[in-house]
Amino acid sequence: MSNPTDMKFLIVDDFSTMRRIVRGLLKEIGYNNAEEAEDGVAALQMLKNIKFDFVVSDINMPNMNGFELLKAIKTDDTLKHIPVLMVTAEARKEDIVLAAQSGAAGYIVKPFTKATLEEKVTKIVQKLGAAA
Amino acid sequence: MNMDEPTSAGMCPAPAPASPEVFQQLGALTRQLHDTLNQLGVLPRLQSSVDNLPDARSRLGFIASKTEAAAERVLNLVDEAKADQNHIARETRRLANLMVADPVKAVASGAVMNFVEDVETITQRVDQHLTDIMMAQDFHDLTGQVVAKVVALATDLENQLARVLVQAAPPELAQKAEAARHTSPAASAPASSAAASPTLNGPVINPEGRTDVVANQGEVDDLLASLGF
Repeated sequence: MSNPTDMKFLIVDDFSTMRRIVRGLLKEIGYNNAEEAEDGVAALQMLKNIKFDFVVSDINMPNMNGFELLKAIKTDDTLKHIPVLMVTAEARKEDIVLAAQSGAAGYIVKPFTKATLEEKVTKIVQKLGAAA
Repeated sequence: MNMDEPTSAGMCPAPAPASPEVFQQLGALTRQLHDTLNQLGVLPRLQSSVDNLPDARSRLGFIASKTEAAAERVLNLVDEAKADQNHIARETRRLANLMVADPVKAVASGAVMNFVEDVETITQRVDQHLTDIMMAQDFHDLTGQVVAKVVALATDLENQLARVLVQAAPPELAQKAEAARHTSPAASAPASSAAASPTLNGPVINPEGRTDVVANQGEVDDLLASLGF
């Protein structure tokens, strides 16, 4: 990808309000290309059909939660390169450690600020750029 | 006054004292009911549901404070944005009058440039207000997760109480009640996200004094850094 702002984001959250907030913030940060999924099952389906560059996912969701989605992404050879940033209200230390050990690229605890999202996304995008 | 003794006419006569055998029978029945409910697993589960009620109160308090804070924040931001908008409207009228009276003087005096700078500053501020108003809506997600947990608790308590009723009812009524219970909305309601993920906790309601949770993003970053992530 020539320009990081062309990256395609997938926002996964069961609350439409939060999806809109994350989408709005990404737009303000400079990322206009985003789609939404309401749970892990829908997200996985979209990931298999559309090329995404970045996933921002909640954890506590019905059908397939964020940990299960993260595991599914990281064990799929065609998807495991996609960074997954967890944005969640789950504040237990063991959940944060589990997310990191499962391959999450970052962890944001709700409620969060625009500055926090921008910092984490930028850091991950820079790592991607360095790895490419 | 001895409450056991009637002191005036017109009061109900004291009931005849029950025989010790009746007390013994009542005691035995109560014990039997208690043991039966215990064996059926109703009492422990009912107790567990009741034990969760204080937690439900905390969660409802969390919802009230979150929604109140969000409403306050939005109303304050709207007040500030409206004040800025009024300022721009006033300045626009004033500049228009200056331009009509003497356009050259309006430019030369710096009134036009001042206005342009004002507009630039205020639009940036209003844009920030709009972002903050958008962020304030995150209460919906956080309180929604908490509501799901409280609904799950209420549903569980309802089911436990219904089971007690069914166990205590005469057989023909119990059969009807059981059939009705299985067709009730609570029994057929889809599992909430919280119920679907029993190991996940959602927002932390009372983080004070807890060492197993983080209180802010800084603690998340410190924890991950300490693990080398």
